[in-house]
Amino acid sequence: MKKLLSLTLLTILLLTFVSGTASAEDPVTCQEEVVVQKDDWLSKYANKYLGNGRAWPAIFHLHNRAAEANPDKFPDKIENPDLIEVGWTICIPAAEDATSFLATYTEGIDCVGAASGDQVSVLYQWSGAEEEKFNTVVKPLVDACGIKIVAQSSRDDAVLDTKAKSTPPDVVFWPKIAPLTLYTNQLRDLGELGADPANYAPYWQNMGSVGGRWLAAPVKADIKTIIWYSPANFELFGYTVPTTWAELDALVEKMVADGNVPWSMGMESGPATGWTGSDFIQDLLLVQQGPWYVLDVISGKVAYNDAGVKAAYETYGKWAKDEAYTVGGATGTVSTSFLDAIHKVFSDPPEAMMVKQSGFAGGEIASQYPDLVYGTDYDFFAVPGALGVQGGADFMMAFSDSSAAKALVVYLTSPKGAAEWAKAGFDLSPNRMALGHYADTALVKKSIALAGAAGFTPDIGDTIPAPFGEAEWKAIVDYVNGADLGAALDAAAAAQADALK
Amino acid sequence: MVPKIMKQGTLTPWLYLSAALIIMLLFIVYPTIRTVTLSFRDKRGTQPATVDCDSGEPCWGVFENYRYALTNPEMLQALRNNALWVLLMVPGTVGAGLTFAVLADQVRYERLAKTIVFLPMAVSFVGAGVIWKFVYYLESGKGAQIGVLNAIITGLGGKPVAWLTNSNWMVNSISLWIVGIWLWAGFCMTVLSAALRAVPVEIVEASRVDGASEWQIFWRIMFPLILPTITVVTTTMIINVLKVFDIVFVMTNGLNGTEVIANRMFKFIVTNQGRSMAIAVLLIVLTIPIMVFNVRRFREQEMMR
Repeated sequence: MKKLLSLTLLTILLLTFVSGTASAEDPVTCQEEVVVQKDDWLSKYANKYLGNGRAWPAIFHLHNRAAEANPDKFPDKIENPDLIEVGWTICIPAAEDATSFLATYTEGIDCVGAASGDQVSVLYQWSGAEEEKFNTVVKPLVDACGIKIVAQSSRDDAVLDTKAKSTPPDVVFWPKIAPLTLYTNQLRDLGELGADPANYAPYWQNMGSVGGRWLAAPVKADIKTIIWYSPANFELFGYTVPTTWAELDALVEKMVADGNVPWSMGMESGPATGWTGSDFIQDLLLVQQGPWYVLDVISGKVAYNDAGVKAAYETYGKWAKDEAYTVGGATGTVSTSFLDAIHKVFSDPPEAMMVKQSGFAGGEIASQYPDLVYGTDYDFFAVPGALGVQGGADFMMAFSDSSAAKALVVYLTSPKGAAEWAKAGFDLSPNRMALGHYADTALVKKSIALAGAAGFTPDIGDTIPAPFGEAEWKAIVDYVNGADLGAALDAAAAAQADALK
Repeated sequence: MVPKIMKQGTLTPWLYLSAALIIMLLFIVYPTIRTVTLSFRDKRGTQPATVDCDSGEPCWGVFENYRYALTNPEMLQALRNNALWVLLMVPGTVGAGLTFAVLADQVRYERLAKTIVFLPMAVSFVGAGVIWKFVYYLESGKGAQIGVLNAIITGLGGKPVAWLTNSNWMVNSISLWIVGIWLWAGFCMTVLSAALRAVPVEIVEASRVDGASEWQIFWRIMFPLILPTITVVTTTMIINVLKVFDIVFVMTNGLNGTEVIANRMFKFIVTNQGRSMAIAVLLIVLTIPIMVFNVRRFREQEMMR
């Protein structure tokens, strides 16, 4: 009798399982089968057929389901939603299918066998408000699976090193990928733990992979490839936010013709003078050369006196050395503090139209001019035409393959985790599925810039060894102050070769 | 026959010396040895020096860090600047100190005048750097000049000057020397003033009776008599100035042609210890002749007594 009961139970279980699988593999109803043309991309289809560009994940996932069910009709699966090839046939799901998919695609939480009460130890550098935001992000997982996250917060690399050697934390969140090379053999392949690499752009996967093993997934990123401006002033003079580099260039010239000073480029910063210039030049390299080039400069593969670097300096110098383009000309650039440079764009009357500075400028403007309103008096736009972005990212690495660790890794790399990350507003989530879930308007803009980037580069100045960094700053200051560009770059290139030897 | 109780054992003097010796060994001798040995390693101070050598490039073997310290363009600029600090800023400081000392003797409010000149000595060098950065401040936009110097210049109808970020490095250097003189002139004045007081009044009176002018009295009587003190003050200043760091680090960080040796040393201290130590040794070597000179003079003076 007991046997019969368990048999029945088993059958019922099996049946549910089978029927569940069957429904997931039900062929998708395609409202249209489109053949990919040149310059097509998924959000374009989503906009055209589903009335909303943000609905592209529905096409991405539902097409793949259709392709799995019917490989003859749709032989090409989309591996990377940024990359669809001309000639592919794409299934555009019916509107109601897409709607129901989008309603549910972020809802699932997979506990990956973790039982209630299981513990996962984590080590991160976040504290205070950051820690609270992280707790908000993981709350649904904690609630759904009952696991307990035991966190330790430390900014010290030595702490990680000591722990890695004795009792490594299950999961580490670190703002650099150096642990990747230090603990290569101890770290787990995130794919094997159940994380879905398709949720990340290929450049993120490359960054986090060693010898074909995917060891680090980015969970958080902030970008500083942005330019601050006053929408009020732009409206007053009839300027529009540029969307391409050519437009920005034309806008700058128009401002000069109007008698306005386009830039405020002051970079004085005590013993750290030069970093603002370094940021600016990195963005120019991202526009003119691309993220791979920037990474090669960091690694030393591209010498600092290369023609590409020289071209970026020349563009920079054209503006930074001329009174018509920046406040105070060359003298202004080397002697104005970077904070004053921010203020000058929002003073009354404004001394300049734009300042290239990272996100903290928003807070600086708010404290200097408390009456100004974000969005109307001050705002930012992403550097137009940048092929990649620069910024900082935090990476997740796992030392353990316990069920609870797996659950955390799977959750944070899942669409649901990404959506929660975006909703919590804990900067950006590099997870593709986060797009469209941001509430904060500034983050929405940054997330679009990040989604459109072909690469992510760390701040050159923060990444290269100190003597090279000093030499880079010096080259910028010397060049702006009238030194020969070739000689200034040769000196920095010598320091680069010496420091990276 | 000396009573036994008055005799010292061979150990006793060492016992008295031990406290000082241990402190010297621990905090001067050992660090110096360590500095020198590190300077003969590679630039990071962890491997033999020769790992820094590239085939086809000049290589000085164990002196590789010294090759950097003596041939790198940045270092050459620093050496040039330190030489200029010694050649121009030191005479400026001693001259200013001497002038104050002589002139203060002639006024009624001598004590007040001297206190004011001496006061900057109480300000930390970093503080002085910050204060003078404000004095030299340049507003490059449309705002008012809040730096005293540029406010005066624009008030008189002139064009503001970039005192610290000038494309002409001599302007930046002179601006820094002025801060140094402001800081140290008080010290020179105090010492020289004491020396002037020590000049016997009789000699001065006698020369006056003989019809010497004040100018002659100073140059023919006072100056030769206080020359030993001037020498001591000058050598002390040279040592101070060779080690100059704070003012430069705070005000320009060696940018725009103002680099000095100690600032180079500081820049490498974390990442490239070996190289940093070689620069430190270079600094010690440069100071040693002046120390020797000072000690010799001291001995000569002792013998004269």
